[in-house]
Amino acid sequence: MSAPDPTSDARIPVTILTGFLGSGKTTVLNRLLRQPSLAGAAVIVNEFGAVGLDHLLIEASEEQFTLLDNGCVCCTVRGDLVATLKELDRKSQAGETTPLSQVIVETTGLADPAPILHTLMAEAELMTRFRIGGVVTTVDVVNGAATLARHSEAAKQVAVADRLLITKTDLVSNEALGDLQHHLEHLAPAVEQTIARNGEVELDLLASLPADAASDVARIAGRLEAADHHDHACGPDCHHGHDHHHDTHHGIRSFSFIIDKPVEWSAFTRWLDYVAALKGENLLRFKAIVRTTDDPERPLVLHGVQHVFHPPARLDRWPSADRRTRLVFIVRDIERETIARTLVKFAAIDAASIATPALAAA
Amino acid sequence: MPDRSADLVFTNGRIYTLDRKRPWASAVAVKGGRIVAVGEAADVAALTGAVTRVVDLKGAMMMPGIVDVHAHLMMGGQAELFELRFPPTASFETLIARVGEAAAKSPEGSWIIGGQWGSDLLPKLNRLEALAALDRVSQGRPVMLRDDTYHNRWVNSQVLVLAGLSASSPDPEKGSIGRDPATGALTGMMIESAAGIVERTIAQSGHYTEEMDRAAMARSIATLNSYGVTAFLDAAAMQPILAALKGLDDRGELTAWSVSAMPAVEPSFMFGIAGDELIALREQYRGVHAKPDFVKIFLDGVPGARTAAFHEPYTKDPVLGCCFRGSTIVTVPELIRWVGKCEKLGLGVKIHCAGDAAVSQALDAIDVVRSFNGPTKLKHHIAHASYIAPDDVARFAELGVVADLSPFLWYPTSFLEGHKQTMGEARALRFWPNRDLLAAGALLAGGSDWPVMPNPDPWDGIEGLVTRRNPSGEFPGAALWPEQAIDVATALEIFTINSARAIGLADTVGSIEIGKSADLIVLDRNVLETPAEDLADTKVLTTWFEGRVVYERA
Repeated sequence: MSAPDPTSDARIPVTILTGFLGSGKTTVLNRLLRQPSLAGAAVIVNEFGAVGLDHLLIEASEEQFTLLDNGCVCCTVRGDLVATLKELDRKSQAGETTPLSQVIVETTGLADPAPILHTLMAEAELMTRFRIGGVVTTVDVVNGAATLARHSEAAKQVAVADRLLITKTDLVSNEALGDLQHHLEHLAPAVEQTIARNGEVELDLLASLPADAASDVARIAGRLEAADHHDHACGPDCHHGHDHHHDTHHGIRSFSFIIDKPVEWSAFTRWLDYVAALKGENLLRFKAIVRTTDDPERPLVLHGVQHVFHPPARLDRWPSADRRTRLVFIVRDIERETIARTLVKFAAIDAASIATPALAAA
Repeated sequence: MPDRSADLVFTNGRIYTLDRKRPWASAVAVKGGRIVAVGEAADVAALTGAVTRVVDLKGAMMMPGIVDVHAHLMMGGQAELFELRFPPTASFETLIARVGEAAAKSPEGSWIIGGQWGSDLLPKLNRLEALAALDRVSQGRPVMLRDDTYHNRWVNSQVLVLAGLSASSPDPEKGSIGRDPATGALTGMMIESAAGIVERTIAQSGHYTEEMDRAAMARSIATLNSYGVTAFLDAAAMQPILAALKGLDDRGELTAWSVSAMPAVEPSFMFGIAGDELIALREQYRGVHAKPDFVKIFLDGVPGARTAAFHEPYTKDPVLGCCFRGSTIVTVPELIRWVGKCEKLGLGVKIHCAGDAAVSQALDAIDVVRSFNGPTKLKHHIAHASYIAPDDVARFAELGVVADLSPFLWYPTSFLEGHKQTMGEARALRFWPNRDLLAAGALLAGGSDWPVMPNPDPWDGIEGLVTRRNPSGEFPGAALWPEQAIDVATALEIFTINSARAIGLADTVGSIEIGKSADLIVLDRNVLETPAEDLADTKVLTTWFEGRVVYERA
């Protein structure tokens, strides 16, 4: 399978908008839907509980969204999500609605976005018409830190995000905002943060989500490397040391590997099978761009969410001059050392070819 | 001040504790089913009150109860209590006559289940004339008779009706239904997997009630107790077994510690739910002495049937050709998933591996799991750690895998003769490298695999571990790989404290130490001073379970 050129990828992006209860998802959605660029967007609202209160707040025309009223999308209506997307596509193609430009799935506050991603990844037919646009997670600056500390589900929503949207910033001081941003940097160092004021999203949030998986991996790996370096460069006056927020992170961490030598694909997939089988539950998100021995000029792009992996996509060329394999892990309770050791043991990767930014920086 | 008096005190014993810190004692005190003192007369004197029962051992040897790491309990008890028994040497006429007697005594409509006919009778039974003879004597009762391999069944026409079978029924995968060559009419012979069809019919008929299951289990455990066994692992515990153990435990009638291994897949010889469905029910079957803490996975078959998986090929065979090596039933990635899942659930895995390639694959899978999961307190077993590639011997200790030594085939047997035919003599004799495993630091645990062994007598096994010669006197002068013999003290550890560690009960059983269960056996001799060739003659005089007598030799 070859990945379409992102600029010419005509597939409809599906963005998952998540965030804990009361973190401002619906406000954000209401404002987003007013933007001209959102014309042709469909919103799938997934309510928690029997009464769909949230949708009453969304000022959108009837045909623009489909409301799922039967509970949590993550556990009970996965099949319905697929059916709903197919129905939206059919209507759009048949001219019954305006042409579909994008889909936003707003999850219940408690939802784990992973099963929604699984649903999309597992439906090959669906993925010919739609692509995963990304996960946007709202975090409100008033309750965010406390919520993240108390609820591992909230921490997971943050960790697996492609973009964090900080809300209710007009209610607190700049210092409080800074503290939260700092906290989020530690929990999710790979994720870009955007600030919403009065629910207004200043930059075009959805358009800026990474459509190009390869440069996304490269960018995240770079961020993680920089974050690692930053931590280790911390002087004696540093107040945001490595373990500072450890207790509030629910074992969630992010790390990356850079591998200099080309990777033997058969051994690497064996290792992937093992990871999925034994650590799948705790592998919150895995992204990689891989230089393989059999075709080193055409990298493979990988994307996994827990035990589910997207079929690897072969790119026609490297997105930049950096042709090293980069692996990005967002995990819960998995040590970096475990990944390093098993890569060497089962993926036939030479220990000397694994760069360890942490050690290099120390 | 609370009464410190013990309930029970043993004195004047030659008490071998299996506690390396204190190997010998002469007195033991018990209170509330637990050992409260181990030492000499003076150590128990203060605990001996007016109500304390004092047992003078008069110099007899006492040791902790035996722990059998691999047994199949229900079948033996069912056969003894509820089934028609005849020896494999019984003639066709005898067999028919015995069914006739049983039918005359049993109520109308009730099942007659029996065994085992010699498999050499199979061609004779697999005929319409034989079926007609069986039907004549069964008086309309459904009859099912098992053969001596436990793989095949012969049933009467009534059972064929109950099972919904007719001449148009297709053969199941990996089995066949006997048919008359001329007419295609069914003969009642159910070969290999076809046996499952009629076994399931019986299971679904409600023939075996929970009361019968408990009685059968209790009978089997009483047999274990008579040989000094006070803890065991049931190596293929289906739902009726789990229910019987829990039922006995709830009634205070379970006279041994039981650990159960729930099959990941329905075994070929037992029927009902297995795998995730069965595992999900485990907590409802947990009791004080009933612990469903293992999962059983069959990775291959047996060498004699050329179904075990080996690195080197079997001898040439007209059907399988020159180069057949056997095969594994479960792939390494599947095994990895199973072991990983079981570790998440806090369950050990017992993996049946009869060939050296199966052993290698099981070790490979556990190596992967260890690499990702790090150390664990759970114990995984390789059963039966018998044919092992030399490079794999050290991996048992490295990976913390238990070598399940069962059944008692550590000396020349008819099984070994079968292996010589399928593997060639030189390879067949590289069987049970026990001493090598021990030297490499592996945890060796003893088991009977009863009823694969006709009885679960550990003393037969212990002699075999020490002499590598057949204790019964069969195969005189022959020894199996005698360099692999081990000493009797080590053999005793293997059948007590080692097996206790292997089944996760080392804090409770396996040695005579303060705080452990008062599971104690009194022997008719000091087995540490008995000539090796007499060890199998050892008799258990009394078996105590939690300080209660559960067996006394008449």
